[in-house]
This record gives sequence, C-alpha cells and structure tokens, in this order.
Amino acid sequence: MRTRTRQEWAAGFDPLAERLADGDPLAPRVLVERHYSELYRYAFSVLREERAAEDAVQDAFERAFSALGRYSEKRLRAMRLRPWMYRITLNVARNLLRRRREVPVEEVLVAGDVGDEDREGVMDVLGALGRLPERQKVAVTLRYMQDLPYAEISRVTGWPEGTAKTLVRRGVMRLRKMMVEDPGGSQR
Amino acid sequence: MNEPFSNRETVSASLRETAACIAAAREPSVLVDEVLAAATDSFFEVESPLGTVYVAAGLEGVRYLAPAASEQEFARRYRERFGRFVSSADGVADLAERVSAALAGEQVEVPLDLSRTTPFQRRVLEVVKVIARGEVRPYVWVAGEAGSPGASRAVGNVMANNPVPLLVPCHRVVRNDGRTGSYAFGAGEKIRLLRLEGIAPEEISGCPYVATPMTGVVCHATCRNAKRIQPENRRPFRNIKEATEAGYRPCKVCRPVVAA
Repeated sequence: MRTRTRQEWAAGFDPLAERLADGDPLAPRVLVERHYSELYRYAFSVLREERAAEDAVQDAFERAFSALGRYSEKRLRAMRLRPWMYRITLNVARNLLRRRREVPVEEVLVAGDVGDEDREGVMDVLGALGRLPERQKVAVTLRYMQDLPYAEISRVTGWPEGTAKTLVRRGVMRLRKMMVEDPGGSQR
Repeated sequence: MNEPFSNRETVSASLRETAACIAAAREPSVLVDEVLAAATDSFFEVESPLGTVYVAAGLEGVRYLAPAASEQEFARRYRERFGRFVSSADGVADLAERVSAALAGEQVEVPLDLSRTTPFQRRVLEVVKVIARGEVRPYVWVAGEAGSPGASRAVGNVMANNPVPLLVPCHRVVRNDGRTGSYAFGAGEKIRLLRLEGIAPEEISGCPYVATPMTGVVCHATCRNAKRIQPENRRPFRNIKEATEAGYRPCKVCRPVVAA
C-alpha cells in the first residue's frame, strides 16, 4: 500500500476504499460500522419509524456492496465512500416514503405517544421537517441533523454549494414560521 | 425543545438537539452483523488435501473454494469472479465444520450455491458431485450423464473452472483413455489426490474398463462392482467398444458409455 499525498487526502481520498479494493476482509465491516449511525439518523429523520429506518439503512448497504462488488479495482480505489453512501440512503429513504404515501398506513407520528417527553419533542421537530418541500428538507436535514459541511452536501446531492445554502436558509425560515404558528407542531 | 423556533440559531440548535436524541433502538453490533449477513458473503479457512483453502459462502451455501496466498488474495479473487465482498462473520462455524468433515472424506452433505453457473455447468457439476471417493469416471461419461453426449471437451472446461473443487470432486474425472489428465491445481496434484483416495492411476491408464466372464458385464475399472472381480477373471479393456464387441454388456451401476 503506497502512502498518500496531502493533496490526495484533501481531494477526499478514502483509505477504506483502498482496503476494500485490496480485499481486506475487515473493510466491509469497517464501512458499515463507520456509517451506520449517521445513515440511520438520516433515515429515521425522514421515515420517523425505527423499523423502517433500519430497513432503509440495510437496503442502502446491500445496494452499495452490490454496486461496489462490480466496480473495477481502479474505480473502487478512487471512491469517496461517505457522500456516495449518503446518496444511496437518500434515494432509498425517499422511495420508501413515497411508497408509504401511496399505500396509506396508520399515522406514524403517533409512535410518539409513549409518553416520553424527549421522544415527543423529537417527533415534533421531525414532523415539521417532514412538511418542508423536498429539497429544503434534504438540505436542512443534511446540514443540521447530519452536521455535514456545505461542500459535502454538494457532493451528496450534486447541487452547487450556493444552492445548498439557499435551500437551508429558506428551510430554516419556514421551520421557524411553522413553529411560531403551531408550536405543538406534529398535527397536520 | 417544544419551544417555538424563534430565530435561525434556535432552529438549528433545536435540530441539532433532536439529532443527538436519535439512535438506533437495537444494539449497534447486532445491526451491523445483520447488514453484513445480508450484503456480503462469509468466508472461512479450512484444511484440505490441497493444503489450506478458503471457502466463501452465501446464505444458500458454498459458492467458492480455492487455495490462496492470503485471505486478501482470496477476497479479491472472489470479488472479481462473483462481484461480491466477503467479510468474516460468526454463524458459519457449523458450515465450516461440515466442509472440513467433507474434505476429510466423511459422508456429509454440504449445501452448495451454484446459482452463478450456467445450466450446462450446473448439470455437469451435479453429475460429478456424486462420483464416489475411490472411483473415477471419464469425461465422456460425465457428458452423457449430464445429457450432452459428445460434450467431453466442454466438460473439461467446466472442470477447469469448477468453483468448488474437492466438494465437487473434479479430480475424479479422467481422460477417456484412463489417463488422469490435467487439473486446475496441477496434473501431479490430481494423481496425488487420487492416490490418497485409494486409486492406482497407473492401473487405469490405458485400460479404464474391466470386464468379467463370470457375469458378462463390463464396468469402469473403479466401479464398486469391478473391484469385486477376482484377479484371474479380470479382463481389462482400452475402450468400451472392444468390450461390447467381445460380447460384454455395460454395467447397470456405473453405466459406461457405449460409443456411437
């Protein structure tokens, strides 16, 4: 394994991609362990249900490994795994949400009525987030729930950084308005 | 947290606070294991007559067995060939034990996943799978049993690319003239493996069939019926045609192929 230059690190070089390409049998586990909780947080923020979030993340990893398995060694080595994992999870979560809307199921937000105050608060915020227009919701979630810098958001979504910033600003303004008008938040 | 978002800072603070509250309900290691079980194949190392070999298995069974210089090399070759990653996982101990026993010559059923092979390859591998230890069969016989008589050469190609050698004992498939022929891991290894299984390759070479006037039957030389023929009654044959011309009928157990 050759050593990498500072430029390569700055360019987003991921040593784990190299390990995957080299056939390190521990690398798949490291990839899953490294990203599971952040991707779960994203999926839960969108889907607001534990089982669905778990399924979404598992599905995202299955798709990821199946694609990576077919990549050439060269392509695999050059992968920026984190934004790529995000992109897959975004798609999976969006599709699950769309399907759920097509086939109406019981209101998921009542999951909060276990009487747990923390959980209720979480569900209120996520409920408000869920009412944002799609692109604003994605931008705000990536920025503040996932704490991604704009450069990374841009890599995940393909939007220019300026667009991401605008979407976040508008999303936040809208959230503020929502919460002022309807502080309980979750009942639509 | 239920306070209204009054300005941008509290909105972002509230979102961050919310984010901090979200964590998977179940044990992270359990979730990671579930993901790996679904998204990658497991692999393990096992002793075999070919030395240490690596074995990769999906949920349906063993997909690949090969010697390799290191687990990295094996994992890389597996990805090239099957487009999948292997990861070491618990829960394969039972399978590893079965494989190990089967490679040691015990009669153990090992689930095989041959889904990545063509229908012809699969038919050939299924035929070869049941060639018993201590016996060999010629390519022409395998071709016939697989429903493609005359496809000896194609059978040879399937053997050369057998994803699960030893478990599908391709070393027990020999040339039509009884010589042992080539092997993916070397012609010498093939001879060594056959000797380990109690076969004397030099006895079969050139005369792969044996008949006996006592029953008027001709067999593959390693057929269990042929092994019972008394030395004074053994009539070796170079090919089945000569045997049938001499009035012998093919054995119903080992079904030697009568050339067209």
